[in-house]
Amino acid sequence: MVNLGLKKEEKKENKGGVSRALKDMMYGMALHGQVSALLRTRMYIEHLFMLMTLGDMLGFPLLPPYYSLRLLPYAVPNIKSWKARMFREHDFTDIITQ
Amino acid sequence: MVGLKEFFERNPNVRVVIFAGKGGLGKTTSSAALSYYMAKQGKRVLCFSTDPQASLSDIFERDIYGKGVIEIAPNLHVVEIDADKKIAEYQEEIRRKIKDMYKIDEIPKEIDEYISSAAAEPAMYESATYDAMADLVAKEEYDLYVFDMPPFGHGVRMVAMAEILGKWVEKITEARKMAKEYEEIAATLRGGAVSEDMVLQELQDINNKIGLFTKILTDRTRTAFFMVIIPEKMAILDTERAVKMFKELNMELSGIIVNQVYPPDLLKQQGVSEFIVNKIKMQSQYLDEIKRKFGKYLVGLLPMYSQEPKGLEMLSKVAEDLMNSPLNI
Repeated sequence: MVNLGLKKEEKKENKGGVSRALKDMMYGMALHGQVSALLRTRMYIEHLFMLMTLGDMLGFPLLPPYYSLRLLPYAVPNIKSWKARMFREHDFTDIITQ
Repeated sequence: MVGLKEFFERNPNVRVVIFAGKGGLGKTTSSAALSYYMAKQGKRVLCFSTDPQASLSDIFERDIYGKGVIEIAPNLHVVEIDADKKIAEYQEEIRRKIKDMYKIDEIPKEIDEYISSAAAEPAMYESATYDAMADLVAKEEYDLYVFDMPPFGHGVRMVAMAEILGKWVEKITEARKMAKEYEEIAATLRGGAVSEDMVLQELQDINNKIGLFTKILTDRTRTAFFMVIIPEKMAILDTERAVKMFKELNMELSGIIVNQVYPPDLLKQQGVSEFIVNKIKMQSQYLDEIKRKFGKYLVGLLPMYSQEPKGLEMLSKVAEDLMNSPLNI
């Protein structure tokens, strides 16, 4: 997996407000975009995972849901966003912007 | 032909015995009889019926259906699973878990509907049964597990299902791990901690259970599959299919027990009815065919009894016959 080697940049600095603010600024400038992208990808994988386990909720009967039910409680908070994304209308601009 | 006693002497490590075959030919009777015999020998035995028709309750003359594990006699434990009840309990457990996890009093409608509709899935019944079997075997509380399988798929379908389930769990575990990696990188960049992935834990838990059970089921030294048949044409055809099915799954049938055999000695008696004479003749013809086709699998012959095999006393007689076959062909 992509390790961006950026760990060094966020050394623990606890020298009061200035360094804290500096650190936050650095984070915002250098890393925030990457972190957001990573988290977005993670969400897509999460949605894919939900499709694999709870697919029959959307009408894809993928496997006996016996064990899916065991995983259901953990998916509860994501179900709404998952369904919204799955049922969203897609067009070619989606592909271009990706 | 010497009966099942010799089989168990030759295969001392067998811990799971599965009786398969068509309905009404004596699977439950054989399961109960073997369990009874082994318990008498001092082994802790669990006899498990997956049959929704509650036949074990009939044989032991006690209502054990859906009541959990019950000790019927010393060392002899029986359980007759009520899969519908088990599914209902499972659904309740999931609902309770969601309520506890998110501190809510009512489950969102669509989620509640999903849980309800899942029970209607045709494979749910089998999965619940399989899960109950795997749970029991994984606990390793007994020396011998005797499973009385439902009369379809020769009991091997369970093994095939285990394989599919195992692969499914494996695949989704991979996907889950990938999600976790992303989260870990993001957490490292942000300087936060990664939360424990409970889903991954659940998956590993399921995988361990299925894996262990499949391993035991496919190990010839630990699991024995017996088919119970009767000396009639349809049973012979069915057995041919079963043997083929076993081969396709890389498994081997451990033995065939022929049940409801009319003792040929009856012919020596005076005034035997023509009905019995014809029946014996027909049976001897099919017994020859069974011997010719499946000779190497034949492990036991059970006679046709003059009364129903019910109650512990009658069961001890059947057990004796099952272990030391009284008939010969």
